[in-house]
Amino acid sequence: MKFTGSKSEPIEVDMTPMIDIVFQLIAFFMVITNFEQTQADERVKLPKNELAKPPEVKRENLLTLNIGYERDKTGAKKDDNAYVFFNGEAVPIEGMPARLKTESQFYGAIDTPLDEVTVQIRADAEVPIGLVQKLIQMCQADDVKFQRFALAATQEVRQ
Amino acid sequence: MKIKSTKSEKIETQMAPMIDVVFQLLIFFMLTLKIVEPEGDFSINMPIGAPSEPTNELPLPDLKVKMVSDQNGNLVELMLGQRQLGNGPKAFENLNNEILKITGGAGEVASEQQVEIDADYNLRYEYGIQCIGACTGRIEDGKLVRYIEKIKFTQAKEPAEANP
Repeated sequence: MKFTGSKSEPIEVDMTPMIDIVFQLIAFFMVITNFEQTQADERVKLPKNELAKPPEVKRENLLTLNIGYERDKTGAKKDDNAYVFFNGEAVPIEGMPARLKTESQFYGAIDTPLDEVTVQIRADAEVPIGLVQKLIQMCQADDVKFQRFALAATQEVRQ
Repeated sequence: MKIKSTKSEKIETQMAPMIDVVFQLLIFFMLTLKIVEPEGDFSINMPIGAPSEPTNELPLPDLKVKMVSDQNGNLVELMLGQRQLGNGPKAFENLNNEILKITGGAGEVASEQQVEIDADYNLRYEYGIQCIGACTGRIEDGKLVRYIEKIKFTQAKEPAEANP
């Protein structure tokens, strides 16, 4: 008996495009996650410390305050006054109590006790420390009353 | 026995897909290379009003760390209590060692002990973070050994000459 052998050619799966796409996807998501920290402000050059560990449990109620200088593209300061970068605007420190009060009222309105809210202060390495202390005091004022504070720093990896 | 002579065709290596993948890998590793350094933070302990808790034991006196700065915000002197610890990077190492001596490493004393940081207004914030780091602990074999958890600041001192 004769079989007219229909030559079944082995289907070659070309893996290359698939790998291409998979890598594209991985790269895409990695870039996305890097930019996810929306509350971080790129104008703030954080101080470095090797002990600054990311918190093990992600904080739920986090109010981030960025303090830094207006910088140009080279990173040089545009002026010597430090600002709080708050909701997209540069606010001089004197303008903060009113805004903090609003924030505090907001947490009150959504029934979040203020002792569960962590105020994370991301201050530029060159900011005078007195400003940071002042800002903390403003957060503790009678009509604001935030209680938990954290000072951000980038984690320095010792080689 | 017949052995079919397999016609050995010349294998053509296709370079184009390989280069594709190699570039992909390159980009992948470039991205994984930390662009954004991991960010951490230090919790500081600043309760409002600081009401004195009724305890039977006498509370440990706060360790006072004082940092004196010049007009430009540089560190001039780091002091623990009355002891002068210098002003270079060594100063913070000294502070770290002193704290270790006082607390005896991680333990009960360390968890009760408080540090109060008293810094001049103009001092650059990075020194503050270094100081907090030195009080917090040290890294040994890649692990954090914690000395003191309760760290607070004094009230901000207004600069002596606000606008020179």
